[in-house]
Amino acid sequence: MINLEKPEQARSDGRTANQLRPMVCSRGLLERAHGSARWQQDNTIIMAAVYGPKPVSGKKENPERATLEVLWKTKSGIAGNTEKEAEVTIRRTLEYIVLSSMHPNTGISIVFQVVNDDGAILACAMNAACAALVDAGIPLNGLIVAVSVGVSTHGVVVVDPTKVEEKNFRAHVCLVFPNRPKCAVAGLPAPVGGEPAEHGIISCVTRGAMSVDEYMTCLERGRAASVKITSLIRNSLEHCQLLQVVGVEFGAVAGSPVPGEAFFAIAVLLGP
Amino acid sequence: MKRTHFRLSPSQKQRLSQAQERCRAAAGGFQASAFVNVGDTIPVDYDNGFLRGHGTQLVEGQLLATVCGVVERVNKLISVRPLRARYNPETGDVVVGRITEVAPKRWKVDVNSRQDAQLLLSAVNLPGGIQRRRTATDELNMRDLFTENDVISAEVQTLHQDGSLHLHTRSLKYGKLENGQLVKVSPYLIKRLKQHFHQLKQYGVQLILGCNGYVWISAIPPSSSEIVAIQPATNQRAAESESRETGAGTPEAQNVEITRDLRERICRIANAVRVLGACGFMIHPDSIVDTYEASLTSGIEPKQMISGEFHVRTVEREADQRSKKGSFKGSARHLYKAVAARGDDQHHQVYVQVSISRSGSTRELCINGPVTSSSADRHSAGGWPHPT
Repeated sequence: MINLEKPEQARSDGRTANQLRPMVCSRGLLERAHGSARWQQDNTIIMAAVYGPKPVSGKKENPERATLEVLWKTKSGIAGNTEKEAEVTIRRTLEYIVLSSMHPNTGISIVFQVVNDDGAILACAMNAACAALVDAGIPLNGLIVAVSVGVSTHGVVVVDPTKVEEKNFRAHVCLVFPNRPKCAVAGLPAPVGGEPAEHGIISCVTRGAMSVDEYMTCLERGRAASVKITSLIRNSLEHCQLLQVVGVEFGAVAGSPVPGEAFFAIAVLLGP
Repeated sequence: MKRTHFRLSPSQKQRLSQAQERCRAAAGGFQASAFVNVGDTIPVDYDNGFLRGHGTQLVEGQLLATVCGVVERVNKLISVRPLRARYNPETGDVVVGRITEVAPKRWKVDVNSRQDAQLLLSAVNLPGGIQRRRTATDELNMRDLFTENDVISAEVQTLHQDGSLHLHTRSLKYGKLENGQLVKVSPYLIKRLKQHFHQLKQYGVQLILGCNGYVWISAIPPSSSEIVAIQPATNQRAAESESRETGAGTPEAQNVEITRDLRERICRIANAVRVLGACGFMIHPDSIVDTYEASLTSGIEPKQMISGEFHVRTVEREADQRSKKGSFKGSARHLYKAVAARGDDQHHQVYVQVSISRSGSTRELCINGPVTSSSADRHSAGGWPHPT
């Protein structure tokens, strides 16, 4: 647990309050899916598969835009209300970035499979979904980055809590930010009160109760952490593209055994 | 699409990255395609006007990318092509596909696209070749024509608005493919050409390059003269490979006796296609033949072709070829400058015409126009230009 007297003291797994877990993102793993990705934050692993745009049955058909459908499969047991809620949250978030008007009368479905849940599973799922959508080549408005922040019983704000920490914390929140300051969304509300557009937020799912000040601190810390994750995601996409682009234009094969994947692991230290 | 797995040793990785660098440098003159992330601004000359293609959107007067991929510019059309794209069908494409399902009055064919393509019963040639109305018996006997897991070659007939794709095999050259290998590569490595059916006579191997990334390699079916439509070889490719269309789906194709030798050649060609696909080079009969010949000269077995070493060598060979082409272009420029300078002095009009054949194997430099100076200035076709 966090040492109250010295908040910089290591947590149970040796991190400081602002330190993220090492992250790995790999894409293109599933053959049959149109796009797939696997996001790993240390022990939390989740896989996302995207199918679409594909034809849908009459009721779900929307003549103006593509219908998004999210399925969440747990590691064990039957899907319950938590999973349904996760599905709805993710669907609403992704509807914000997917350019669904490009593919009317079709459906895009995203299937999640939890491989292991060690905290921050919703944030992992958002990141995995974003990577899988990119892998599928579905047109997007922008990318998203999600991070989980928790507030301990003593009021210490901690980034990227593990499952044990989440259980013992007073509250934790999953924050989803746009990956790019300039989101390509037409009709994005104008910056309010002099705040720059970078401070936009797409989704926020809270569990537990926290004060407004604590929430603001969570936002700040989350935003700082998301900057690092942003650069990770962009580098991983570009790196993978570079391998492939070099392959297409100039002829080279990636050193990795499976071209199309990018293994990118990074341990992030933000500092107090 | 199964991908070839192989490991590279550190020295091989280094050689590979060096070859990559050389390839990149050799292509250098024109602007290399830029890759963009989602939401990145695409550099565009707004004054000249542009056409917005797939994968882009206009936001607040700026052109942003909506997919991660490579920017492609064709004249004024700017589009972004996602790298791990599925096959995007166009009417008239020749595709190779596998039957996945036999449905009422149609077959569903897997063509590496977003959805399975449909092959209607009315869009195939009935055995016997007579044109008649499809009866209920025909519908019941669909499995006699094509059954599940058959590989067929067909042409894209129409592409409907909801994305469904209809094929047809209404020519004798399309139909069921047998006694061969199917190799799957990325669709963008196969360009749309005049001919997709190639016969490599010197090896006795038939090659069908489907636009959807599926390549079919088999033995040449014995030609039946009454059904073959011979097309003149109008392309300027290497003299060895001709292109002819012959009945792929005819019963004769099934009766070819495949010797061990022929089988090895088919395997070698198939592995050559796999290597080119893994390295990301364009799949083209010339490049396949080059790779095949290289594997023969190295004296390696077909199964060793998909090892890391051969991949590295292929990339190095391509880097060599591109550097040669690049340096030739450089020397041609110098030559032109030198001749033009001399031409200016003597008020001559000099036209320099440089033509490089497709495979890069023959290089011609002709200087036309009234050049009246000594014969040292006159260079005839077919040979390296003398340094001036």
